[in-house]
Amino acid sequence: MTPAGVLLTYVVLGGWALVVLFPLYWILTTSFKLPVHVYDGPVFIPYVDFTPSGDAWRYIFVDLRNDTLRPYVNTVVVALTSSVLALGLGTTAGYGLLRFRYEPRLGVVGMFLGSLALAAVAITMGVPWQIAVAAALGLFILARQTLGRRFVRAVGNDDISFWMISQRILPPVAVVIPIYVMFQRVGLLDTRLAVIITYTAVNLPIVVWLMRDYFRNISIELEESAAIDGASPYRIFRSIVLPLSTPGLAATFLLVLVFAWNEYLLALFLTSANAQTLPLLIAAQNATRGPQWWYMSVLILIMITPVILMAIALERYIAKGLLVGALKG
Amino acid sequence: MKRHVRLVLALLGVLVLGSAAGTPAAPGKQFDGVTVNVLTFTGPQIAEPLQRRGPEFTKLTGAKINVVTVPFSDLYQKILTDMVTRTNSFQAFVFAPQWMVDYVTPGYLEDITDRVKGDAALQWNDIAPFFRDFSASYAGRIYTIPLDGDFQMVYYRTDQLARAGLKPPQTWDDYLKVAAALHKKDLNGDGRADFGSCIAKKRNAQSYWMVWSVAGAYLQSKGTSQGSFFDLDTLKPLTNNAAFAEALRIYVDTGKYGPPDELNWDVGDSRSGFVTGRCGLSIDWGDIGTLAIDPKSSKVKNKVGAVILPGSRRVLDRATGGLVACNSTTCPYATGGVNHAPFAAFGGWSGAINKAAPDRVKAAAYAFLSYMSQRKQANVDVTIGITGFNPYRTSQFKGLDNWVKAGMSASAAKNYLGAIEASLNSPNMVLDLRVPQNQRYQQVVLDTAIAKLLAKQITIQQAMKEITDGWEATTNELGRDAQLQAYRSTLGVKR
Amino acid sequence: MLTERDLGGTGSPNGPVPLSLPQALTRWAGRQAGSLFLLPAVLLLMLMSIFPLLLSVYLSLVRFQLVPGGFKLIFVGLANYRKLVAGIEREHFLGLLADLTPLIWGMGGAVTAVLLVFVIRGAARMRPAVPRTAGRLVFAVIAGALTWLAIRTLAPGGRPGTVITTILYVFVGIAVQYWLGLILAYLAAQQIPGRRFFRVVYLLPMMITPVGIAYTFRIMADLGKGPFAPLWRAVGLAEVSWAGHAWGARIVVMIGDIWQWTPFMFIVLLAALEAQPQELLEAAMMDGAGRWQTFWKVTWPQILPVTSTVILIRMIEAFKIIDLPNVLTNGGPGTATESLTLHAFIAWRTLDIGGSAAVAYSLLFLVTFMALSYISLVHRRLAGAV
Repeated sequence: MTPAGVLLTYVVLGGWALVVLFPLYWILTTSFKLPVHVYDGPVFIPYVDFTPSGDAWRYIFVDLRNDTLRPYVNTVVVALTSSVLALGLGTTAGYGLLRFRYEPRLGVVGMFLGSLALAAVAITMGVPWQIAVAAALGLFILARQTLGRRFVRAVGNDDISFWMISQRILPPVAVVIPIYVMFQRVGLLDTRLAVIITYTAVNLPIVVWLMRDYFRNISIELEESAAIDGASPYRIFRSIVLPLSTPGLAATFLLVLVFAWNEYLLALFLTSANAQTLPLLIAAQNATRGPQWWYMSVLILIMITPVILMAIALERYIAKGLLVGALKG
Repeated sequence: MKRHVRLVLALLGVLVLGSAAGTPAAPGKQFDGVTVNVLTFTGPQIAEPLQRRGPEFTKLTGAKINVVTVPFSDLYQKILTDMVTRTNSFQAFVFAPQWMVDYVTPGYLEDITDRVKGDAALQWNDIAPFFRDFSASYAGRIYTIPLDGDFQMVYYRTDQLARAGLKPPQTWDDYLKVAAALHKKDLNGDGRADFGSCIAKKRNAQSYWMVWSVAGAYLQSKGTSQGSFFDLDTLKPLTNNAAFAEALRIYVDTGKYGPPDELNWDVGDSRSGFVTGRCGLSIDWGDIGTLAIDPKSSKVKNKVGAVILPGSRRVLDRATGGLVACNSTTCPYATGGVNHAPFAAFGGWSGAINKAAPDRVKAAAYAFLSYMSQRKQANVDVTIGITGFNPYRTSQFKGLDNWVKAGMSASAAKNYLGAIEASLNSPNMVLDLRVPQNQRYQQVVLDTAIAKLLAKQITIQQAMKEITDGWEATTNELGRDAQLQAYRSTLGVKR
Repeated sequence: MLTERDLGGTGSPNGPVPLSLPQALTRWAGRQAGSLFLLPAVLLLMLMSIFPLLLSVYLSLVRFQLVPGGFKLIFVGLANYRKLVAGIEREHFLGLLADLTPLIWGMGGAVTAVLLVFVIRGAARMRPAVPRTAGRLVFAVIAGALTWLAIRTLAPGGRPGTVITTILYVFVGIAVQYWLGLILAYLAAQQIPGRRFFRVVYLLPMMITPVGIAYTFRIMADLGKGPFAPLWRAVGLAEVSWAGHAWGARIVVMIGDIWQWTPFMFIVLLAALEAQPQELLEAAMMDGAGRWQTFWKVTWPQILPVTSTVILIRMIEAFKIIDLPNVLTNGGPGTATESLTLHAFIAWRTLDIGGSAAVAYSLLFLVTFMALSYISLVHRRLAGAV
């Protein structure tokens, strides 16, 4: 690059870094402000135009102690578990959709959905869920054995892919009540498990789509030669495909982790006392006296810190050296 | 039989409470092993006193109080979802009584009339009549115990009014005059022009209460049970007439003396604006009073006065839809020819009990709410800013000691309590809308039309038409008869 | 459960199949590989989506009412939808139409003509003609209607409803976020000192919970208390506020959205840039191509599939924008910044569950239409396949 090019690069990158960092700087200083510092027009630099106060930090860590800690632990557990699950399920599904041909017959899919819907309706009506699920399963197997063979029309990979991504289209407002009812019936409300399952399902489509595109970039010859050498699809997937797509995996993991880490509306409904997560605590700082900017800032800061560390750790893997090495090796 | 058991339990609870105060805790307390889950919003306001007094109560009775909080904006839905889906994970709720009708109609809330009647320690008659008879009751039965008194007042800067030689506003026309006189003056000594009037006009926040604080004086003049939202016979909205047009004109005109981004101010902004001295006047609940003496937020300590919501010399003639002058028949409660109608917006946080809870838990929940509302506790809590509790008992106006201790000057305390007392004792208090699904009337139709009006998307005439049409459509959708009956029930009108 | 036969999969990679594997178990597992890769994800998604989807369709056709003893769901047919397109919510949902002027006629006519040509050309060329042309026709009708709506509500005298406001957020937001994200990703992929710092910093906005970001922007954009207040006063605009102007407020919402979501584009595009085979770049350089040329000739085609996917995902997400308008302006001034999700949310919060579900389903329809059009018109070409 020419020196002018380097300079321009730094100007652009630095400019955007400033845009990104300034609001964060503002949050940081706000966390040390008293209400009067916020209300009375802006003050910018601690010790220069205002005297910082640890009041907000004390409130969050001393007065609220357990009320901060519990959501924190919940958030960590829920976000990590659901991201790992989503990544696991989504990566395999994405690979499957790229390398295998699926032609599930429409009728069979329809029957399966019908049974599932029946079970769901039965559960809402108050039938114990174990019985409902078992009955639906029986019904489906019966129907498949008797009617299933008549259907010819099938759906393909494209349809499955689109169906998956379409799961993210419905706004959460529309589905939050049904999901609440579902978990209430199986007695999982206000547990981390309910939140984990929901987040895994919500983030799955993104993993599938992103990972599929990363896999597409891997040249198929490597896999083919491995297959000729007798490697099973699992082995190929584990030893060739996954290592080659580390950058994609890291980026995707970070993405879904962030989504799960920050989700609000579903958590609001699925949790009350025990499983509440941090975004709820942040939203709660807007109460009858208006937003409590200082408490909110403290919470945003303690919430963002672990994810930043995670990003720093994962950034290494997104870096190009690793990939190049793998390709050449 | 069951009913008797409950009654006896309630009485027992009261007895135990009465005797337990001060005596060392006996082993085997009445509510040992009982846990009451109380749902309210994330504090510190409202939740703080519950959390602080919970352990005290446990010591007295053995019942464990578990306060669960959710963000304020989602409390209504959360309570309803819990009961509608029969999850019933909470046995008691502390909420705004405006929502009560949506919980009472389906029969989700416990009728506590008998418990209250048998509860001497609660001193029910010490609670101001409005909160007893209207706020806590529905169709003559009691469902909630008031823990807080909420209504709107006008706050003004005593120092600035004195300097300008003005009196606190008596009518809304006065309000505009005072605002005009203070606008663009430097009110806090920072060398910058400040604002005459700051009102929370943000959409989907508190604006629809603010506009009704103005409109109330024009629409209701014959006592609380006249109501200010609908005609009592037909449920036709009172929003398409000369009186409401005048109220809207005033509300729009206050914007001339407000901050440039007033359309985006909620009460958080108007409160902070007022206590940092940037506003001459503001409409608010009791909060500014206590925020103004908090050294962490205030620059106007002891420079704040409060006055009952301004009134009007002309009121709506419901027969003709016109404005008529106040006289002894049109405005029987007028003072000095001015009809005041203090607006109990939102209604004051109150406690209620989930009917689906087991009897013993309900008894414990009731005992706890009663404990919170009893003088010994409540009269201390209302003077503490962080509780968010404002006065609602007559005895809370006796003696300024607690207020002075909290940092108010004696004259400021007198002025503040005077305004509250004047509102509280007004027989013409305006009850907030409490028909089923009232949020659709106010938060959707009214609020949207007002927001468009303030943004100059529509005219006053169009706004009135939009509100009236929207309310009629909602009423027709939900069933006029049922809504009418509910409206009358909230106002205690029986026919 | 679905078996291999139902799935009809060949159970083997597209490449040559290993035929001589001894262990029966391994062979079975090998044959089932296709199912085992896909099924867990499919089952979980079905479990979590079928029932909510069905129930919310039903909810959009009912009126929720509290009655003594509980609640009632009264079936009202399409009344909730009718309210949106023809009833009292019409102006809110679709907007206020401006009077027809020659200019509007001209613009609308041009769009209509383009769509007509598109359909006719499709009919002439596509095989099988009937279904494909029908598809194009449906697309043309809906796209034409939306364009007309946009033109007439955005013209002077009109006022966009929540539909057009949302589409506006999506289009402007994605365009800016994509190009900004691409430029930044390209620059951050260069071998320059300090690039790791930039990469981590750029990810920060995405890590904050959307509610938190919305509040942060609210204080940043506050002209009395925010950091830009002195600047704003210094240029003599103390009496002016974005909050009172429809476009001012919309732009502030979009700025927040861009700040929050550019990192999403950035991280995905960066990973794509990093993943491209180095040899190709080096070969192009050897051939004497400049950076600019190398980018467009080599890099760009390489990252096109990811580009297309990231735009699709972002589009679907962007339609659900709610936190920023909700916290910044609550949809004001008037209804200027209200998005469809916020529209549904406000109705839902006030127990108008049927009305809320109807808005949500209209949104579902709109996004599905956009996503399908995008996939068949753009994505297939860019990504090779879906």
